Amino acid sequence: MELNLRIAGEAGQGIETTGSVLIGALAGLGLHVFSTQDYMSRIRGGLNWFDIRIADKELFAGTRKTDLLVAFTQEALETLRPDVRAGGLILFEGEGAPGVLSLPFTQTATDVGGSTIMANAVTAGAVFALLGSDLEALSAQLKTTLADKGADVVEKNIACARAGAALAADHAGSLTAPAGAGAPEHVYSGGDAVGLAAATAGVKFVTSYPMSPSTAVFTYLAGVADEYGIVVEQAEDEIAAINMICGAAYAGVPAMTTTSGGGLALMSEGISLAGIIEQPVFIFVAQRPGPATGLPTRTAQEDLRLALHAGHGEFPRAIYAPGTIQQAYDLTRRAIETAHRFRSPAILLADQFLVDSRKNVAALDETLRPINRHIVDGPPEGYLSYALTEDGVSPRALPGSSAFVVADSHVHSEDGHITEDAQMTVRMQDKRTAKGAGLTADALPPELYGPHKADHLLICWGSTYGPCREAVDTLNAGGASAAGASFASASFAMLHFAQVWPLDAAAVRRTIGSVGARAITCIEGNASGQFASLLRQTGALDTCELMLRYDGRPFMAGDIATRVAQ
Amino acid sequence: MTQSAGTNHTSWCPGCGNFPILKTLDNAIETAGLDRHRLVLVSGIGQAAKLPHYAQANVFNGLHGRALCHATGIKIANHALEVIVTSGDGDMYGEGANHFIHAVRRNIGVKAFVHNNQVYGLTKGQASPTSDPGFVTKVQTHGVTSHPFNPLAVAIVEDASFVARSFSGDAAHLHAMMLAALEHTGGFALLDILQPCISFNRRNTFKWYRERVRPVPESHDPTNRAAALELAFQWGGEIPIGIIYRSRRPSFEAQQPALQKGTLVEQFAGHS
Repeated sequence: MELNLRIAGEAGQGIETTGSVLIGALAGLGLHVFSTQDYMSRIRGGLNWFDIRIADKELFAGTRKTDLLVAFTQEALETLRPDVRAGGLILFEGEGAPGVLSLPFTQTATDVGGSTIMANAVTAGAVFALLGSDLEALSAQLKTTLADKGADVVEKNIACARAGAALAADHAGSLTAPAGAGAPEHVYSGGDAVGLAAATAGVKFVTSYPMSPSTAVFTYLAGVADEYGIVVEQAEDEIAAINMICGAAYAGVPAMTTTSGGGLALMSEGISLAGIIEQPVFIFVAQRPGPATGLPTRTAQEDLRLALHAGHGEFPRAIYAPGTIQQAYDLTRRAIETAHRFRSPAILLADQFLVDSRKNVAALDETLRPINRHIVDGPPEGYLSYALTEDGVSPRALPGSSAFVVADSHVHSEDGHITEDAQMTVRMQDKRTAKGAGLTADALPPELYGPHKADHLLICWGSTYGPCREAVDTLNAGGASAAGASFASASFAMLHFAQVWPLDAAAVRRTIGSVGARAITCIEGNASGQFASLLRQTGALDTCELMLRYDGRPFMAGDIATRVAQ
Repeated sequence: MTQSAGTNHTSWCPGCGNFPILKTLDNAIETAGLDRHRLVLVSGIGQAAKLPHYAQANVFNGLHGRALCHATGIKIANHALEVIVTSGDGDMYGEGANHFIHAVRRNIGVKAFVHNNQVYGLTKGQASPTSDPGFVTKVQTHGVTSHPFNPLAVAIVEDASFVARSFSGDAAHLHAMMLAALEHTGGFALLDILQPCISFNRRNTFKWYRERVRPVPESHDPTNRAAALELAFQWGGEIPIGIIYRSRRPSFEAQQPALQKGTLVEQFAGHS
C-alpha cells in the first residue's frame, strides 16, 4: 500500500517548505516516506516539484506517477496532470479548471495567518484532510519546524493548517493513506547524512566554493559548525579549496571540500598534490549533468571517469558511491578513515538525486567519534616524512612535533626534499603503488540483492541502488509478466557497488559468475556506460547490456522494470 | 642553522638574490627566537620557492600559485604555528594572484615574503606580472605591453594589516622588515622583497635597484591609507622601502568561534 503526493509550482512559492513540513508530519504518523525534488536552476518562476511517496513498507526511490497533485500554477497543472493516476486528486490554487479542486491556499493564508507565506501550512492541512490523517502530527511538525520563529508564528501556522483541512473537508479521506507501520521518525536527506557523518568523524575544516547540487552538504556543515567546533570557510575558488585542505591535512586535522563536476575538474592538480604529498583529503562530489555548466540542479552519474582520473601522474585513491541515506552516512565516515589510514585522497561520489532525496531511517549517531588519524606521537630522532615501508604507508608526524615534517610536490627522497634520482623516483612511485594494493584489499565488496542465483543480473552503482532494488522486487513479484516479458518466471538480482574504486576485480568476477545470469545489464546515469567499461577494463566482467539515462532525471523503478522486461 | 646557504647544494645561480634572503631569514628566525619545530615554511613553485628546502623548519612546498592556500589551511588547522610563505613574484602575483587578493581580504595570520625579481627564472626568462613595460624577453619579443601588477597598492586597497617592501641587497633593512613582519600579530603580512635576477633580468639589476631604493620617510604614518597608496605608486625614479601600511583589522583566526577554544588540531586530539 502506497501513495505519491506531489507539490508543484514556481521557485519561490515555498514548494520545498511545504514538502519538508509534510514529510516530517507523515513520518510522525509512522509511515515510511521517501521524497525527491525536481527543480530548475533559478530563484523565481519556472516549474519545481517536491514528491513525497508514503507506504507501509520501506521505500528506496521515487515514482513518476502520483496520486495527488497540488498545483500552485497553471503551468504546474498542465505539465503534471498527465502523471496523475486514475482515481487521483488534483488541488489547484486557481479558478475554473475542470476536474480539479480549486482551493484558495494563499487567500486563506492571508485571511487566517495574515501572511501569504503560510499558504504552505494551509496546503499541508488540506493534504492531511484528504488523507484522513490526524492533524496533531502536522501541528507537532509545525511546532518543531518553526520553533525558532516564536509561539505566535507557530500558532498562526497551526490555525492555517486547520483552515486548510476545513477547505478540503468535503473530500476528507478521499485518498486512502497507508496505515502507519511504526517507521522511524528521523528524516534525513542524503546531504544531511554526509554532513552529519563528516562532523561526527571529526572533520575540523571545511572549505568550498558553492556549487549545485553539492552546496547542501556545505550548508549543513556550516549549520553544525559551532556545535562540533568546525571552521567553515567559503573559498575564492575550488582550486583554493582543495589546496587549503591539503595544507590543513598536513597540519593534522581531518579536512574536506564539497563540489560538483566543474569544481572537481578545477581541483585536479590539487588532488594530484594530495597524492604525492600523501595527505588525507576528503572530497565530496555531487554529480550533475555536464559538460561544462550542463544542468546545474539535476542528476547524473557522468563524472566517474573524472573522479577516477582527476589529477596528473599516478597515485592511489578511493572512491565511494553510496546508494542510500544510511550508506551516505556510513561511507562518508569510511572515506575519511580510509584517507587517513592510507594517507591518500578519498572521494565520495554522490549526485543531486541522493543529496536531495529524503527518507526516514533509524536515527543516525550524532555523537562526535573522531576517526583515527594514524599519527606518530613523539616521532623518533631521524624521522622521515616519506619513509619507505612494505605497505607504502609512511608513519605520519605533524608539524609542531619534535620532527621536521616535510611535504613536497616534487619527486622527493624519504626526508621529503627534492630529488631527481632515478632510483628514488621509482621507489617512491612503487611506494604509492603499494598503497593502492592496500586500498584494493580494503575495498568494499558489492552487495548482491535478490536471489543468489538469477536469470538476469542488474549491475548498478551509487544512487541507482534504490530504483534498481525496487525494480528487482517488482520483477521477482511477477511484474515481468505484467510488463509483457516473454520470461514470466524469470528471476532477477541486483549487484550494487557502493565503492567504485579500487575494485577487487577477481572477487567481483567470481561474484558475478556465481549468480549464473543469462543476461547482465549495467544501469547507469550516463551516456556511455562508464562503470560497465571500468568493469570490463579491470577484467571483472566480459560483456553486458547497458541501460542508460542521461536526461538529468533519476531512474524510476517502474521504468527499469519495464525496460528490463522488454 | 641553514643546511647549505651559499653552497652548490642549492639550485640557485651564484650571486642570486635568493642567497641573502635565505641567510637573512635564517638570522631573523634566530633573532625572533622562533621555535623552528613550530615554524612552517610554505612555498609554491619557482626558484624562490625552493628556499624552504634549504632551511631548518617544517616544509610545505606545494603547487605553483597555491602557496597562500596551503599556508591558509595550515594556519587554520594549527594557528599556534608560525607560517611563512616564501615564494616568487610569478607564484604569488601571477598564478596565485587571486589567492593573494583573498588572503589579504581574509587577513589570515600568514607572513608572505615575496621574492620579487620581475622575471621568471625557473622557466628561463619570460616576463613576470611585475615586469616593467617594454621589457623584452624570448616570449615578449616586442616588449611587455601589460601594466605591471602593483602588489603593495592591491594589498593596501584591500586593507591588508601589514604591508612592507625591502631589498635583498640591504641585509640590515631586510632583517628589520622580516622581524617587523614576524612581530605582526594582527593577521596577514606582505613583505615584497626586490631582488635582482642575475641570469634573466638585465634591466632591473642590483645596481638599478640600489640606485633607486630609499627608506620610507620617517614622517610617513603607515596607518594613513592615502599616504601609503602614494608610496605604493612610487616606482622608477625612487622606490620606497620600509613599512608602507598597517591597519587594525582583526585576523581571520581571531574571528572564528571554533578557534577561540584552542587550535583545531588540539581540539581534535582532545576528543580522540
